[in-house]
Amino acid sequence: MEEPSPTPDPPTNQLGSLNDLAHELASLEDLATRGSWRSILDKVSRARSLNLLTSPHDHLIYLSYNVLAFSKLRRFSEASNEIDTLDDFNSSYYKYETYPRLYPNRSGSMIPFSLRFIHAQLPIKLGNRQEGLDRCYLLLKFIREKIKEKESHDLHDSVRIWKRRENSVLNCLIGHHLGDKEFSLSLDLIKDLINRDYLDPVLVSKLGYIQMQIGDIEGAKGSFNSVETMLNERKSDEYFLSEVQFRNLVNRNKALVYLVGKDYVSAVREYEECIERDHTDVVALNNKALCLMYLRDLSDSIKVLEKALERIPTIALNETLVINLCSMYELAYVNHSEIKRTLSNWIVHVAPDDFDASCTRVLISKDGR
Amino acid sequence: MSTAPQGTHSLAFRVMRLCKPSFPVDPPFRIDLADLFVGEDIFDDPLAAANLPPLLSTQLSKSMDSSDLTYGSRFILQHPSDAMGFSGLLLLPQSFGTIYLGETFCSYISINNNSNFEVRDIIIRAEIQTERQRILLLDTTKSPVESIRASGRYDFIVEHDVKELGAHTLVCTALYNDSDGERKYLPQFFKFVAANPLSVRTKEITYLEACIENHTKTNLYMDQVEFEPAPHWSATGLKAHELHPADNSSTVEVFKPPILIRSGGGIHNHLYQLKLASPESAQMKVEGTNILGKLQMTWRTNLGELGRLQTQQILGTPISRKEIELQILEIPSQINLDKSFSVHLNLTNHADRELGPFEVWLSQDSVHGKKNVMINGLQTMVLPQVGAFGSSDFHLNLIATKLGVQKISGITVSDTREKKTFDPLPDVEIFVESD
Repeated sequence: MEEPSPTPDPPTNQLGSLNDLAHELASLEDLATRGSWRSILDKVSRARSLNLLTSPHDHLIYLSYNVLAFSKLRRFSEASNEIDTLDDFNSSYYKYETYPRLYPNRSGSMIPFSLRFIHAQLPIKLGNRQEGLDRCYLLLKFIREKIKEKESHDLHDSVRIWKRRENSVLNCLIGHHLGDKEFSLSLDLIKDLINRDYLDPVLVSKLGYIQMQIGDIEGAKGSFNSVETMLNERKSDEYFLSEVQFRNLVNRNKALVYLVGKDYVSAVREYEECIERDHTDVVALNNKALCLMYLRDLSDSIKVLEKALERIPTIALNETLVINLCSMYELAYVNHSEIKRTLSNWIVHVAPDDFDASCTRVLISKDGR
Repeated sequence: MSTAPQGTHSLAFRVMRLCKPSFPVDPPFRIDLADLFVGEDIFDDPLAAANLPPLLSTQLSKSMDSSDLTYGSRFILQHPSDAMGFSGLLLLPQSFGTIYLGETFCSYISINNNSNFEVRDIIIRAEIQTERQRILLLDTTKSPVESIRASGRYDFIVEHDVKELGAHTLVCTALYNDSDGERKYLPQFFKFVAANPLSVRTKEITYLEACIENHTKTNLYMDQVEFEPAPHWSATGLKAHELHPADNSSTVEVFKPPILIRSGGGIHNHLYQLKLASPESAQMKVEGTNILGKLQMTWRTNLGELGRLQTQQILGTPISRKEIELQILEIPSQINLDKSFSVHLNLTNHADRELGPFEVWLSQDSVHGKKNVMINGLQTMVLPQVGAFGSSDFHLNLIATKLGVQKISGITVSDTREKKTFDPLPDVEIFVESD
């Protein structure tokens, strides 16, 4: 049997495809994009048992996909166990310079950062929130040390990447604190992000949503005004947003202000402008449907959501939208189990492996029986 | 939550509480492709830093291509704030939840015809029943709904300001002609309980301290807390000095830290300084009650859901017409250990008749036992009578037996003839130095 040749050391050659980065990476990525996480588990298992992985970085990348797949499938213990098979992340086993023949002239860690990111959050999913938060804050510290280190060596590209990681971890922390209704803390962290020049319209809009959630409507309006100012002053697409996405963001923010003031007609109008501009704007579609409900138009609100699932299934299919639709079914139909089953069956055929199908079983009975 | 009658009905009521929707938040496992395909330090290598980005961005476009029917957006981090898991998608209220006094109860009511036949001439009523009253929310008696077709619906939304605590019942009734021409009556009942969201405790001297405690399950954003003083008072709210004056000016100007009272027992205190509106109104003080005013509170919860409450009249300590007033006029600035010092006092007679003679002493504090500041000499001082509206100055010789901050406490005066002892003076702090 021919031994598979080791994947050549990444980017010293011309990069034709992902497969130059790791063994059959393109196929792994394709499966991930389709949400076929179970197939990924199979593929990793097969690659391991057939000894198809030769270089250390191949092993690490496959392990990362495995951990990610377990996490997406909500099999958190298995994800955690998988990570436990590794040594400490900072061990020399995972440094390029430990293998000078495989990675000539390269040094540093070959751990894919996603492993650290997932590892930090797993305890929260396993019910140990404090441990998880501690890990996230430690990860933040680790990232900041890396940034300093790279800056001192003038490694500008690396600095950029590590700063983006810092940004993601901060956002993730904000999400966890918000989930536990620790609003003051979340606001402090966003302030921290903005002070570090991570000011951007999506972030400021989210600040507005948090302010709304607390009930600070005037504060939220102020945040949304800033976003609109950023749109009017924009120089280039320095904010990760296209023109259309930016305009839709501003419209959606306006719609929320109307919604909070109970002017649902104006809110619907704003959302329709968004949908006209971008028919894949799921937030606008979902929120428009809710406004129709508040306008006593249950039938149309159901139609908006059903149409969205029909026309743009892979974009519209998300747990929140489905919960909303099921709530509407329960209100609209005395015998709603039939229509929910139809929806459920459709989801089974279309949804990715990580879709949480329990969202179709809204348990609260609202029929007074 | 509700009861329904026996028998078959073509119609049925379905109800959903329509408070404001919420923003679900759940940080997802979403990854940047560069954090998955390659090692974390690979961008240190200038060759990698040059060659990788084009490959990554091609792959990103491919994975996020909506026409390709992929779920890339469920696991790829496009924008850093995607990691927050807070997309701006709204979620309908998922349960009835708890309803609090001061809030507005809002509900979507749908009456469904789940039979295969049309029903006609439907008179629909909805009302809220509490222990004390019935409030009509909807009544189509004057213009009945002509018909509801098979599998059809008639929807309405009702609102009611919750002003009573305790059990409430939303009663929905429909009177209709079913397909046999029979006039049928369908009542349905949906029960809920209105709980008390806040309790207000007040403490006051000439200051009013109000402590607001949050009994609800969510944090409350206190939009407005105002003290409405009674006519002869004026009130000023006192706030702590702003702690963050030097904010980075580029920070978005929206950071007034919100007053948030934590759910399940969190408290927030408000302090008001009360002044009598005019000197004349001092004479308006009526013996017995002393009405200070009312506290008005407006709060907001999720997405600005509004609630408001007003307290009953808050009372100050009852004014008793003080006949005798004792005050300390002067205490020496230097007080030495074990050395007698003299305190200058004044006794004023506010009554319209002669009072006294009096006795002045330091009352024994049963809790603390031995005092560190005592009268030097005779333990009781005798003062002669004081005429109507008159006053008399005197000195008390005291001695301190311990160093440091000490208290002169329990200076008490009594009228020996009328056998009336008045409340002791409040404690006064002094500093005792060594020789």
